[in-house]
Amino acid sequence: MSGAQLARSRPRVTIGRVSPVEIVLWSLRILVLFVVFAGTIGAIVKDRYTAAQWFDFVMFGLTIGAIYAQIALGYTMVYGVLRLINFAHGDIVMCGAFAGYFVASPLDRSGFLTQHPVMGMTAILAVAIVTSTVIALLTERIAYRPFRRVSGSGPLIAAIGVSFFLEQTFRGMFGSSVKSYPEPSWQRSTFGVWGFNVPRIDVLVIGLAIIFMAGLYLIVQRTKMGTAMRAVAEDAEAAALMGIDVDKVVVFTFTLGGAMAGIAGVFYAFVYKQVYFFMGFTPGIKAFGAAVLGGIGSIPGAMVGGVFLGLVESVGPSLFLDGLGIPAPYQLRDLIAFTLLIMVLIFRPNGIFGERMAKQRA
Amino acid sequence: MKTPTRSRTPEGMTRSRTPEGMTRSRTLRRILLASTLATTVLAIGRPAPSSAAQTLGPVTDEIGVIRIPKNAPIQIGGMWVLSGPDTALGLDEKRGVELAFKTVGGKLLGHPLKLNAEDDQCNAEGGQTAATKLAANPQTVIVLGPACSSVATPAAPILWQAGIVDIGTACTAPALTAPNRGPQYAGFVRTVFSDSEQGKADATYAREGLKAATVVTVHDGSPYAQQLQQVMADNFTRLGGKVLSQEAVSPNDVDMHPLLTKIASEKPDLIYFPLFTAAAAQVLRQAKETPGLEKTVLLGGGSLASAAFIEAAGPSVVGFRIGYPDVSADAMGKDYPKFVAEYKKAYNEGPISGYHANAYDGAILAMKAIEKVAKTDSAGNLYVGRKALRDAVFEITFDGISGPIACDANGQCAQFKPSVLEFTSADPKTYDLGKNPKKIWPK
Repeated sequence: MSGAQLARSRPRVTIGRVSPVEIVLWSLRILVLFVVFAGTIGAIVKDRYTAAQWFDFVMFGLTIGAIYAQIALGYTMVYGVLRLINFAHGDIVMCGAFAGYFVASPLDRSGFLTQHPVMGMTAILAVAIVTSTVIALLTERIAYRPFRRVSGSGPLIAAIGVSFFLEQTFRGMFGSSVKSYPEPSWQRSTFGVWGFNVPRIDVLVIGLAIIFMAGLYLIVQRTKMGTAMRAVAEDAEAAALMGIDVDKVVVFTFTLGGAMAGIAGVFYAFVYKQVYFFMGFTPGIKAFGAAVLGGIGSIPGAMVGGVFLGLVESVGPSLFLDGLGIPAPYQLRDLIAFTLLIMVLIFRPNGIFGERMAKQRA
Repeated sequence: MKTPTRSRTPEGMTRSRTPEGMTRSRTLRRILLASTLATTVLAIGRPAPSSAAQTLGPVTDEIGVIRIPKNAPIQIGGMWVLSGPDTALGLDEKRGVELAFKTVGGKLLGHPLKLNAEDDQCNAEGGQTAATKLAANPQTVIVLGPACSSVATPAAPILWQAGIVDIGTACTAPALTAPNRGPQYAGFVRTVFSDSEQGKADATYAREGLKAATVVTVHDGSPYAQQLQQVMADNFTRLGGKVLSQEAVSPNDVDMHPLLTKIASEKPDLIYFPLFTAAAAQVLRQAKETPGLEKTVLLGGGSLASAAFIEAAGPSVVGFRIGYPDVSADAMGKDYPKFVAEYKKAYNEGPISGYHANAYDGAILAMKAIEKVAKTDSAGNLYVGRKALRDAVFEITFDGISGPIACDANGQCAQFKPSVLEFTSADPKTYDLGKNPKKIWPK
């Protein structure tokens, strides 16, 4: 054993060399793990909820998680290609929700949505997708492209500006009141599986989200444009030298992200039944968290991150905090979600799927 | 070999930029810390205005004198929520004040009245900004509003620091006029009831009207909701009921399903949630979809008496009840019907929320107080002593359109008559306090 090796192995046993930051980090990890385990055991021992209620918690979590995942895809794809955090993405979701509302509301009043749910939903989704995509492309062309060659925080600030612009434009055009989404009767209905009541809308949202995300994954992995997108994400300059039109790829990326945002906006509004100009902010932040959690730049990462965040938000307060006897646990659900997010990032700084990408690149 | 190649990748470039980023974030943190400290010192450091006595023209006052030149307007500050989901709540009060100014032809003591209304967004940050802005104007004589207790809590001390009296027009949190409210609130009065009364009335209705044995309360962390549900829960227990749990959400939560499933596992007779428009509409809509809550009664609070809430809640609003002060014609002052007629004439619609009468009375109180203490010199300039104005506000009594107005030593100027209202239609256009929602208790 050489001297250098000895020197390297020594700090592991010497307490004096451990920095205070490390101690804090480790105690944080232990505390969170303790809360998770003790809370779970407590919740199981208390036996407060029936199996059907646990099933409901999981369904709620999967539903909101599927929506987060779709929004997170927009963040992660744009980041992968442009290294830009598109803070206006949440507001593009809001645009889709509004567009869907203006179709859904008259369709519901005329009774069309109740009689022809499939055609009605298709129309709502189509209008929302087109609106979101067009607005996403316009923001790219007008606000982001002039910043393409600028280093520093210019592009980020432009993105924040776009976010404010969209919010205030919608507020100016459609007022600041909260609008209620229509609720056709088929949406409320449930069906039984193994004795559990499953709401149709949840199944619809989760099912369609899986289909759309699988489609997106295939586009990115199997098509020529998708391959070009991955090439630009890997190294934009090299890709340009190989004859890939980077502008075209960026436009393609924003189209995909905008379409997913439109779908997510409609689903979000259909599950939570309200649209207003500021509605995109919170899901936007959460989905950004989900994208970071999954490993920003990674598409499967965004999907897994979104579902994980949704599940923790929904199940976490009842499972961890209720078990410990903490009152009003649902006030703390964002705290739980983001604490777990920080935990994952402490253990895996690149996010759940982040490392694979880094390895590929090296 | 690998290391040099790596440093050319995008990550390498980002890494080389970190030191700059770190400095920036440290500066940012320092600025944040400094401003937080400054705010804290401003908010709690000095309890009352500390400027020495001032003499200006014919008036000498302990904390300061406002000089309004001849023909210049008397500037009255206003702060209400004028944007977002609770706009109707604030706008309704602003209109009440405008109508009060109209009764004197927009002029007082020969000077035009000018209302500088700020949007406080119904949150503490907005309140701080609005109050700072109004306090920065040396011509602000008095401030009317806010609608929300979360605004009044930080705003009233900032205004009183500048020697400005604040007349709250719909903020009902008990702490604002509690006997232990602290000297920084000495300049705050309100022409609206206190929720210590509202909470007691709601508990009484739950026990006697609904015969509920168990309740779960939900608040959103705002002073209004939190204090109201606490008073309600205390009184409910005192009346022999059982409080199963006191839950909380955050004001912009949309997914209430998990919370409601948790509540359903406790099987309460009643869920009491005095939240604001967006969150309350979510609870209401999603409660109807939650298995186990089919028979549970839902009871909301006074912030939901608006067309905007009907719009947000949709069809599930029908049959929903809220605890509210009694505003039926026989419970209000005798001039109230005349006021409603004026309101309709001026804005082409009936009152859009519930506190216009309180705001109107607040404005009348402000004008009476200014009239009482203001002095004019030979050149036609007007002088108002700040301390004298404050004392006048506490002394004046009159019959307002919302009922008799007389402030007690803690700034509570309005009395309370309880009622419970029930929504009868999901069409926002049918909103008409007294018809939709209509009074169902006391019978």
